[in-house]
Amino acid sequence: MWQLLILASRNLFRNARRTGLTMAAISVGLAMMIATINFQYGSYKELTTNAISQLAGHVVVQHPRWQDERESQYLVTDADTVATKLRATFPKAIVTQRVQVGGLLRSSSNSVGAGLAGYEPDQEAQISDLDDKLIDGEWLGSDDLRGIIIGTGMADSLDVKLNDKLVFMSQQKGEEMASRLFRVRGIFRTGSADLDGFVAVSHIDAARDLLGGKAVAHQVAVHLPDARTSEADARTAANALQRDDLFVGSWLDAIPEIYALIQVDRTSSDLMMAVIGFIVALGVLNTVLMSVLERTREFGTMMAVGMRRTSIAGLVLIEATVLGVFGSALGCVLGIGISYPLVNSGIDMSGYMGETMVTGGVAVSTLIMGAWDPNRMALYACLAVVFTILAAIPPAWRVTRMKPVDAMRHS
Amino acid sequence: MSIIASVSGLTRDYIQGTITVRALRGVDLSIQEGDFVALMGPSGSGKSTLLNLLGGLDEPSAGDVSIEGTSLTDMTEAQRSNLRRDRLGFIFQSYNLIPVLSAAENAEFVLLLQGVGPKERRERVFKTLADVGLAGMENRRPNELSGGQQQRVAVARAIAGKPALILADEPTANLDSETGNALLELMKKLNEKNGSTFVFATHDPKVMAVANRVIKLVDGKIISDERQ
Ligand SMILES: Nc1ncnc2c1ncn2[C@@H]1O[C@H](COP(=O)(O)OP(=O)(O)OP(=O)(O)O)[C@@H](O)[C@H]1O
Ligand SMILES: [Mg+2]
Repeated sequence: MWQLLILASRNLFRNARRTGLTMAAISVGLAMMIATINFQYGSYKELTTNAISQLAGHVVVQHPRWQDERESQYLVTDADTVATKLRATFPKAIVTQRVQVGGLLRSSSNSVGAGLAGYEPDQEAQISDLDDKLIDGEWLGSDDLRGIIIGTGMADSLDVKLNDKLVFMSQQKGEEMASRLFRVRGIFRTGSADLDGFVAVSHIDAARDLLGGKAVAHQVAVHLPDARTSEADARTAANALQRDDLFVGSWLDAIPEIYALIQVDRTSSDLMMAVIGFIVALGVLNTVLMSVLERTREFGTMMAVGMRRTSIAGLVLIEATVLGVFGSALGCVLGIGISYPLVNSGIDMSGYMGETMVTGGVAVSTLIMGAWDPNRMALYACLAVVFTILAAIPPAWRVTRMKPVDAMRHS
Repeated sequence: MSIIASVSGLTRDYIQGTITVRALRGVDLSIQEGDFVALMGPSGSGKSTLLNLLGGLDEPSAGDVSIEGTSLTDMTEAQRSNLRRDRLGFIFQSYNLIPVLSAAENAEFVLLLQGVGPKERRERVFKTLADVGLAGMENRRPNELSGGQQQRVAVARAIAGKPALILADEPTANLDSETGNALLELMKKLNEKNGSTFVFATHDPKVMAVANRVIKLVDGKIISDERQ
């Protein structure tokens, strides 16, 4: 065995250039995959983190029909009680209530359609990064029922600036038109035209007034430190609340489209990597086959002096294993080298799309940061070795079919 | 004197498309321990075919080969492989050394396959290489050796495993006559000193002088078999 390994590595050195090229193909292929994996992992992480904080929480409690229909009437009518219970269940969590009202914002000169998000200012500031995006003014104070925060696009359309007055008007099904006066407290810029031109934020109690309710909310969201245990956390919440009339679920249930988006993206990139892997494997198969054919006479001699055909096939496989292990190790080093700037500096796409883009309804940064995904890196490194060995099986099989005398006559 | 190898009714047909070439036509033969057989005959007479069948490298169309009383026909390829490893030695016209192994490692190859321990392996390899006149060249690769030296390594590889029978197919054909003669001397010496049995296919008339038995093959048949 030990001797076979020596023989195998000498054989690899015999045609150092070919070995080098094959190894380069394996390692460059793997390095590309590793860079892609880390880049994707970073963007998925950003997407889920932002989706959870913007659209849901790790655990959400909603009216069962709110999820699909998004009609203002589908409220959690005793949201304060629910929130209190959840705070007791998850002492380390941030529990926040949210209300959404669609309507019209009017200034002295213009009016535009707007989505008013009623938030608990203090809680939301800890979860969301909207407060960091303010370019003028300040975030809402805890009891600021008169304040409103709008985006730059909205401010331009309405031709308003800080401290100007705005009226928000909305009409709920079968009710009178409700309206409310606000003062512009802050102006944010995310870089996304959708967000900057449409979203307005007010205190939750102000939005509740517009809906004509008191302790109501469309969503009570629980923000937890770890996204990986969300499903178990959702079960804990459901047990604590014991409320059949409400929907209690994890972010996976609340925003399944985000999870699906990631799965689709991951599948398509896996497919692409499989194609790259297949091409590299074909190249490996070709070189191993060539090296076997070249040595047919030599293998014939080995058989003649009493080496088993299976041992010679084993030699071919060991050569491939050495090739695969070193190619894969080199690929890891190279892949980590390429990933390093992706993880630490990221790729800045703001030049093309502003600072924020909206993916699946979630605002994400256009500075895309990679993140280390050691599990998948290890998986792909192993796959590189496995596929190199697999590619050597057909040539090795050929060896076991040879008759010594025919092999030796081979020229 | 015991019989090392025996052959009876040995026939080998090569079928190429619609043409069948009968390379051996019912050969009967037995090789005694200590024989130094010169297998002579014109080109195409079947010398190599006979050697390959004797060594279990090829399978006969009819007839049987036995080595030390065991028929090769009944063996599996793995058993034949073990037989070649333990009981037979091969020397080829074009040396057939493994290029990535040094002289010592080439000679050691069969011992490794036999599972001889490292210490004994070393001793035997050094002694064998010295016997074939290659002392001091143990670490050279085949491409650093002359043709005659390479063939000496091949001889060392063939005898290191202490085989019962050494099959040599025109081992001197690629060498100049002086080198060839020296090699022949060497094998004769091994034959006399160790009692190694040789079957030696050749066109070289000088072999006749060295051999104790000359077999002439024409058209796949033995036409004469003389001891001298
Ligand atoms: N693989 C093969 N396929 C077809 N015919 C073959 C094959 N090997 C040998 N032959 C034929 O069998 C006959 C005997 O060949 P063999 O090689 O045994 O002769 P030889 O006595 O060793 O000749 P040489 O002195 O040239 O080496 C020849 O007619 C040859 O053409
Ligand atoms: Mg011949």
